[in-house]
Amino acid sequence: MRYIKLPSENFEKFFNSLKAWGSIYAPVKRGSIYSFQEVQRAEEVALDYNRTMLPPKKFFVRPRDEILRLKNGRWENGTDAEPIVLFGLHSCDIHGLKILDKVYLDEPVDPYYKARREKTFIVGISCMPDEYCFCKSLGTHFAMDGFDLFLHELPDGWLVRIGSVRGHEIVWENGELFEEVTDEDLKHFKEFEERRANAFQKEIPQEGLADMLDLAYNSPVWKEYAEICLACGNCNMVCPTCRCYEVCDKWISAYDAVRERRYDSCFMENHGLVAGGHNFRPTRLDRFRHRYYCKSYFDPSSGYNCVGCGRCDEFCPAKIEHVKVLEEVRGSLR
Amino acid sequence: MMDKLKLAVFELTDCGGCALNILFLYEKLFDLLEFYEITEFHMATSLSEGSHYDVALVTGTVSSQRDLALLKEARNHSDYLIALGTCATHGSVQASVEGSIREKLKRVYGDEGNPMRALDSKPVVEYVAVDFALPGCPYDKNEVYQVLIDIAKGIEPVKKDYPVCVECKLNEYECVLVKKGLPCLGPITYGGCNAACIRSGLGCIGCRGPLPGEVNPASEYEILKDLGYDDDYIIRKFKTFARWEP
Ligand code: SF4
Ligand code: SF4
Ligand code: SF4
Ligand code: SF4
Repeated sequence: MRYIKLPSENFEKFFNSLKAWGSIYAPVKRGSIYSFQEVQRAEEVALDYNRTMLPPKKFFVRPRDEILRLKNGRWENGTDAEPIVLFGLHSCDIHGLKILDKVYLDEPVDPYYKARREKTFIVGISCMPDEYCFCKSLGTHFAMDGFDLFLHELPDGWLVRIGSVRGHEIVWENGELFEEVTDEDLKHFKEFEERRANAFQKEIPQEGLADMLDLAYNSPVWKEYAEICLACGNCNMVCPTCRCYEVCDKWISAYDAVRERRYDSCFMENHGLVAGGHNFRPTRLDRFRHRYYCKSYFDPSSGYNCVGCGRCDEFCPAKIEHVKVLEEVRGSLR
Repeated sequence: MMDKLKLAVFELTDCGGCALNILFLYEKLFDLLEFYEITEFHMATSLSEGSHYDVALVTGTVSSQRDLALLKEARNHSDYLIALGTCATHGSVQASVEGSIREKLKRVYGDEGNPMRALDSKPVVEYVAVDFALPGCPYDKNEVYQVLIDIAKGIEPVKKDYPVCVECKLNEYECVLVKKGLPCLGPITYGGCNAACIRSGLGCIGCRGPLPGEVNPASEYEILKDLGYDDDYIIRKFKTFARWEP
């Protein structure tokens, strides 16, 4: 992987050069949350954000997406895919997209996801964990791929890792903005990473998690938490790896309709409902437990479906903490 | 061209908003008129040629003997009956006033008795079986539009199965409960309003009534208590639009 340096004074020029690729979307502050929004100027970007409420998934699988349109009795493809730049993704979210890739790009390929993914230029950015982050213990705190460029904060600029051919091209076209990396820069980079590694306040002991969950299906801890869980689905809606959606048709006039897909949550009644009226997960207990198994268990060989971003904790009205639940479940086995 | 379906709108005791809301579909009403003829709707037609309706919309609560008779008439003469609006589905504000009808009449009218033959206000669903219940004070007019076109096309309309929080997140509104400590009933309230109140920075007041099933009012209550709201306030908030009988 090639490393180069972007001095602070060239940051804005570099930012503007990305517009050649497409519209730029970056984290901005809205009230007390952050959200990926279209930005025109570099100063609008909240470079030191911790996490957005909705993850960058929303650009590939949209919260609500008109996938087909019924016009004059025929269904037409309804979605579009414009080239965009996603600026400022954290490592956990890049890992989140890699997990979604496995779902949406494996056969059968989701054409909407694929088209948008291919047209999106991804710029990662380094971060400092807050009290919710636990990506380090899941190994998702550093991205080796899944981005075009990755910016690491230095005292006087950015160390840039180039992660793709497209990334190389952008750097090549704007060669005058970059410098060679010095030993001093590398030292600062390492110092930053060390400071960061020591700043994590939460970790999930991944060791034996799958075996543990194997034995823990009937743990009383699930029941205790199902008593306080609201079954509101907020944890699913904000999760970068949740991939469930619902498809519904909507009339826009007497004879024309759109087919829309929208995020779904396994806390909802219809999620486990099958033909004949049987429901696989009729109770809150079933649904609460299911979410944990989906995140940490079903296919450990391909990695966990949780990247430790902390969104589910930050936005749970009942203040249920992901790591704490799993630790208590583990504890109940002893 | 197939015969149009006969549509009726009946209004029991309510503010009138839910019946009027149908007219607020404006030009979209013409889409409905492609499939329906309105044979009974005191706000839109002088026709009243009862006997049989394919679809009947009933708004309001049963609050008098007249309401009850009208509701029975609507039920007996319609194939598909929709309880429309929170009055009809949950009782709304008037049904949430506690105490017996006798005491209430006495407080207002003294010893005059019960000349208008009032009943304790109750939602439509407590008296008759309905084919579909669409809450909201008022309901989202686009929802009734979808339901009526579905029925006209022979599609069974789908009941929403999620609370307000889901649409709140789909719109990426800042969560006022988690971030501002506002008393938001979104986690336990029947979704479908597209989180209109949260869009304005307000907490959900529960106007669509409780989402049935696995939601957890007891936990919502504890969360609001932890935020410093007192018992009385929370209970009144819970009971504004529906009599919670958990
Ligand atoms: S389960 Fe929670 S911490 Fe894990 S990826 Fe999803 S939102 Fe983030
Ligand atoms: S089953 Fe639940 S936890 Fe798993 S991806 Fe779907 S919504 Fe998320
Ligand atoms: S956000 Fe919290 S309360 Fe809501 S469903 Fe998830 S765990 Fe339960
Ligand atoms: S603001 Fe209210 S409706 Fe929206 S997510 Fe928060 S609790 Fe749910």
